[in-house]
Amino acid sequence: MTEEIVFKTEADMPYLPMSLGTTLVNKTGSWRYIRPLYVDKTPPCNHDCPAGEDIVGYLALIEEGKYKEGWELIMQENPFPGVCGRVCPHPCESECNRRELGGAIAIHTLERFLADHTASQRPSVQASKRYDAKIAIIGSGPAGLACAYHLALRGYPVTVFEALPVVGGMMRVGIPEYRLPREVLEREIADIEALGVEIETNMRLGDNFKLSDLEDYQAIFIAVGLQKSRKLNVPGEDAEGVIPGLELLKRVNLGEEVQVGPSVAVIGGGNTAVDAARSALRLGSDVREPRSNEVTILYRRSREEMPAIAGEIEEALAEGVKIRYLSAPIELLTENGWVMGLKCVKMELGEPDESGRRRPMPIAGSEYALKADTVIPAIGQEADTSFLETGEQRLIEVRRGHIFIDAAGATTRPGIFAGGDVATPFGTVAHAVGSGKRAALAIDKYLRGEELSGFPPIDEAVHAVPKDMDPAIVRFDDLNPAYFEEIERTEQPQRPIEERVSGFEYFGWAQYGEVNLGFNEEEAQAEAERCFNCGTCNLCDTCLIFCPDVAIARLVAPPYPVPLARLNGAGYEVNYDYCKGCGVCAEECPRYAISIEKEIKWKK
Amino acid sequence: MRLALKALGEKTILVIPACCWSIIAGAFPYSSVKVPLMHTAFETGGSAAAGIKAALEVQGDTETTVLTWAGDGGTFDIGLQALSGAVERNEDFIYACYDNEAYMNTGIQRSSATPWGAWTTTTPVQHPKETPKKDIVAIMAAHRIPYTATATVAYPEDLVRKFQKAKGIRGAKFIHILSPCPPGWKMEPAYSIRISRLAVESKVFPLYEVENGEKWTITVWPKREVPVREYVKLQGRFSHLTEEDIEFIQENVDREWERLVARAVQ
Repeated sequence: MTEEIVFKTEADMPYLPMSLGTTLVNKTGSWRYIRPLYVDKTPPCNHDCPAGEDIVGYLALIEEGKYKEGWELIMQENPFPGVCGRVCPHPCESECNRRELGGAIAIHTLERFLADHTASQRPSVQASKRYDAKIAIIGSGPAGLACAYHLALRGYPVTVFEALPVVGGMMRVGIPEYRLPREVLEREIADIEALGVEIETNMRLGDNFKLSDLEDYQAIFIAVGLQKSRKLNVPGEDAEGVIPGLELLKRVNLGEEVQVGPSVAVIGGGNTAVDAARSALRLGSDVREPRSNEVTILYRRSREEMPAIAGEIEEALAEGVKIRYLSAPIELLTENGWVMGLKCVKMELGEPDESGRRRPMPIAGSEYALKADTVIPAIGQEADTSFLETGEQRLIEVRRGHIFIDAAGATTRPGIFAGGDVATPFGTVAHAVGSGKRAALAIDKYLRGEELSGFPPIDEAVHAVPKDMDPAIVRFDDLNPAYFEEIERTEQPQRPIEERVSGFEYFGWAQYGEVNLGFNEEEAQAEAERCFNCGTCNLCDTCLIFCPDVAIARLVAPPYPVPLARLNGAGYEVNYDYCKGCGVCAEECPRYAISIEKEIKWKK
Repeated sequence: MRLALKALGEKTILVIPACCWSIIAGAFPYSSVKVPLMHTAFETGGSAAAGIKAALEVQGDTETTVLTWAGDGGTFDIGLQALSGAVERNEDFIYACYDNEAYMNTGIQRSSATPWGAWTTTTPVQHPKETPKKDIVAIMAAHRIPYTATATVAYPEDLVRKFQKAKGIRGAKFIHILSPCPPGWKMEPAYSIRISRLAVESKVFPLYEVENGEKWTITVWPKREVPVREYVKLQGRFSHLTEEDIEFIQENVDREWERLVARAVQ
């Protein structure tokens, strides 16, 4: 049908002109000077995830009902979806293009949904190889365990040393149970141990062993976190009744009985302050008399500058925690060695400081007194690097309170790597996971004698399983809004406030009911369907429908062999014999999954 | 055309009077469509189709749909009397006019479908068109034919549904399709769909249907409403218009839209 029809003489031509050949002989593709290409681009959520998750990938899998596959897609990068789905401040959501049409996708709740929905299943990943080189990891927090996980997946024997009797670092002792139930954490740690990772508890670096004791290990990863609470530096700080926020959280989480007085003052505006305040509220409650104590947070700047997760602040306020903004203590008032109250001063905001936040300045003569039987300072933590101060450990450089590392996570001493809060300034579980993974990839390279190059800057995510996509980030203006309607974001239900603050009789000592209750399947589906699939071809057929030259062919039909969202251009084929390069497909593509490239054949 | 033929199926005969589809359909001895197609003279879109339908009926074939596919020149101007005659006799065929609002194929001369204020080679910017576009749908509706509709490729589902509906109705059917022409409208080819959609969203070209000349129904209510400016600013043929000119177009569009809404069944 497609061969050319040739009339040599007029006599060859029929009497009645009737076209029986097809115009397919006319390869109009030669008219083209631009060509469309299917190229997946980076969605903003993927780009902003510190743990390097393929978020659009698993949202698409949720839409398809493939929950186990979605969970395992997260597990390629992050062994803590259940933890991060609860406690991550979700930077992914702050750049989500859905913000413009009904609010950002509730990504963290969907991540949690995948973890919860597959709670009874185990990941099918297993290490394929076995290496002999042993690796020591110091600290079983998110950075240490993520590093252990990624190394174990690559076939290395890993031993994790943990100072405390319990595993999980800040996830275990720094985050209250009402935000992160213990069994969720334990389940995810068990999955890491199932890969052959050994964890030795009660092994504190500096006390129980030294770095020089680890000569059997070919590489060391230090992820000891920030263990020292910053001091208020005001008189009376050493009185009874003063307990640092982190200390309070740790003791509650270890099951120790902690007493708080009827009026509690928490000082600070970060997550530890908010967690400590809400924990104090629960400690002072019982089922007969909920919220029998008064908990006040003092913060020296205003609500806008408060670094704690906004949702957590809302929840604390709803539960009855009071917040005094623009207030700072200048003295703790004591009586017989016990704290009785605070002398505070009001602040106003001056010029922005180096953190970009406006610097609080005391207002002269604005001092006032506040009654408090328990004072909880929570103004930040510092690294305790005293274990580096002796012998050859001094070769590891510390800068501005953090262990200094390069883009590969390597310290100044070969073979020793560091990550997590002791080496990076981010302070979230997801960043720590990314940091541990970065070190795992670097240690793998190091042990195989490769150059430690090619790592992105420390504030960008690394990927254990890179997805083939253009690094260009898709913004709202790149999308075609004609295909999207405004749909309200789905919020997860929360436990009623009275139940949350009813104290130990309800849930058992230190067993507070989880505040956020997660999505059911229906809610998860509704929320995942709101995803634009930015930059990601999901076979919507818009290009196919609008191609004026019928030059696009669909290559796959259900059931799909791979996750729909990661066909990356394999879903359609452009027939360049006939594509005239009008650009309609790329222009109409709702999600910017088609690129236009100039034809280079005219170039000399 | 692909969508229309998808809707109508293989048992279709095409009639194409002179228009750019005379070229797209393929030069002898080639054809780009898989159904029989008859090229015919400029003014005969209506009568040729009526003749083919009569011939089919003589052969006892009542299944095959006859579809005339004509440009705005062959419909609004040159073919109007044949079209009017055919639909007045209520011949059983579909007449689809794909309207790019000028004689694009011969060098962008104005037609009676060219809108007020538009540039063409015969209405240069010094003297852009001073009369409004002919309301062909009202003319067809005034013939009291069973089915008249508007469509655009930006709303493919609506377009396909209208062709399918027309196929199921006996008698004369008229479908008016707005069809951007990148060189004639001085626009980016890639914007063809976007501009078609803006035409609907700005109410320059509402999507509706008229049954028996009486029952008017708006089939696509714009999801969002945009000013006419959005539609004209993407087209070079309107680039000489002043703010007052655009305001004048906006007033006319608003008035026409109100008239349509008042007339339409809710």
